[in-house]
Amino acid sequence: MEIDIKHIAKLSRLKVSDGEVQKFEKEMRAIIQMVENLPQLDASGPLIDPQNPMKLRKDIVDHPYRREEILKNAPKTQAGCVVVPKVVE
Amino acid sequence: MPLFDKTATELSSMLAGKEISSVELTKDVFARIKQVEGQTESYLTLTEEKALEKAAEVDAKRAAGKPLSKLAGIPVGIKDNICTKDVRTSCASRMLENFVPPYDATVMKKLGAEDIVVTGKTNMDEFAMGSSTETSYFKKTKNPHDLERVPGGSSGGSASAVAAGECILSLGSDTGGSIRQPASLCGVFGLKPTYGSVSRFGLVAFASSLDQIGPFGRCTKDIAMLYSAICGQDHYDATSAYRKYPSFLAALSAENAKSLTVGLPKEYFDGVDAEVKGKIEEAVRCLEGAGVTFKEISLPSTSYALNAYYIIASAEASSNLARFDGVKYGYRTPEYDGLIDMYEKTRSEGFGDEVKRRIMLGTFVLSSGYYDAYYKKAKMVQKQIMTEFDAAYQECDVILTPTTPATAFKIGENIGDPLKMYLSDVCTVTVNIAGLPAVSVPCGKDSKGLPVGMQLIGPKFSEQTLFNLSELYELQSGFSYQMPLL
Repeated sequence: MEIDIKHIAKLSRLKVSDGEVQKFEKEMRAIIQMVENLPQLDASGPLIDPQNPMKLRKDIVDHPYRREEILKNAPKTQAGCVVVPKVVE
Repeated sequence: MPLFDKTATELSSMLAGKEISSVELTKDVFARIKQVEGQTESYLTLTEEKALEKAAEVDAKRAAGKPLSKLAGIPVGIKDNICTKDVRTSCASRMLENFVPPYDATVMKKLGAEDIVVTGKTNMDEFAMGSSTETSYFKKTKNPHDLERVPGGSSGGSASAVAAGECILSLGSDTGGSIRQPASLCGVFGLKPTYGSVSRFGLVAFASSLDQIGPFGRCTKDIAMLYSAICGQDHYDATSAYRKYPSFLAALSAENAKSLTVGLPKEYFDGVDAEVKGKIEEAVRCLEGAGVTFKEISLPSTSYALNAYYIIASAEASSNLARFDGVKYGYRTPEYDGLIDMYEKTRSEGFGDEVKRRIMLGTFVLSSGYYDAYYKKAKMVQKQIMTEFDAAYQECDVILTPTTPATAFKIGENIGDPLKMYLSDVCTVTVNIAGLPAVSVPCGKDSKGLPVGMQLIGPKFSEQTLFNLSELYELQSGFSYQMPLL
């Protein structure tokens, strides 16, 4: 099986250097060869778990944080905002 | 008299009887940490000052005659992927090296209300991806029973800290065996609870449909006590089950386990090391002696479980870890040219190789043209495995297997070969795939002196039955945890 590591890395927003391509390609090929051994099972019927339905909580703010508490972990901030590179020309 | 080697159950009654104070106990545990941490490297962060403050607070409450929980004043280690307010939570990754959560995970809130004393944050595989704690960005934890060997993973630090007396109890998380496998390799008890019984709010997500937080301890009573404190419905976790839980410790009854029928699935004994098999057979005979009935059963899809697991877990991981983009928190690369370049450099520098492999595997199996061949097929296998477990529980109450196919391996032995590493989870992943509870119970040592563990798997929400059977084995075999000489 052909594994296009550069393409998968791009989809994953990862940079794989030219030096690493071969190593990752070899490892990924071995992993995919292992996991692709799966039986063909009857694919009818739902995949959800009807015995354990999920309930969403009410959309009410009950966990208020101060802005500076949240921004403390941001890599770059300015005037109470997160700084990112320019995205619109 | 040392205190660090006692169980939480013993210490709890000593504290209640005022034979010892929590400050004394906490000091004793930190003295032990100072003595052995250089050898085991179980912790990423120690919180001694906060711990002693909390211990003094508990002692003051006790002196004032306030009602206290059984866990009050007991030193507990916390895996570093569980958010602790104002204490760094790194997931053993460069990506979160400086991340200090502004909130507590639900389990930490609950344990805070029980007045536990947090000793610190324990080492793990990066983002809980691994089976040896070797993928940690910061350090390699050693197995206290043989310092040249791994403690297992991904909750290796939590297991080794309990095994070495560097805390009395600890919390880990289990996505494919990350509590049970290290518990087995370190000779302690570990529970992977029923999916939905413990809130995942504040647990850094790896594979959300499989992750559960659970306890480590040095006896059945200890894990039953800690599990009772952390389980329960939580509206911050949409997958949290709506039900009431008893006190598992108060209801513990070895006697009730004597009438159980235990299934031995033949598929779980293929490829298992002969010495491990021997110890499991001894444990079976021991329980038979107590009146437990055994029967051979079959779970035919077991051989596909590991494959399905790696597809499902990696698919979820690739989407969960998309949040690490260098914008709102975590690492950001110092130099970049535009937004996409910032994302790619940040993620490539912030994540280690195993995390990258899993993100890429997950991206691949979900990508256009491959979804049906991989992800959908894996989900069908998951359904099949669940159906087979349901059928098995018509014939027996509990299923007994080895926790791992072999005892602890040497540091460096498997790290170069991802597939070999993945095989150490072969007996544990099915339980996560089916959402079941399972405990790993120590059952002797091999000829190298390395601990062997057996896994007891029950139907959903059967934790009480598992604790009862584990307790029966402890009593019948005369088990008591032997602290390694360090």
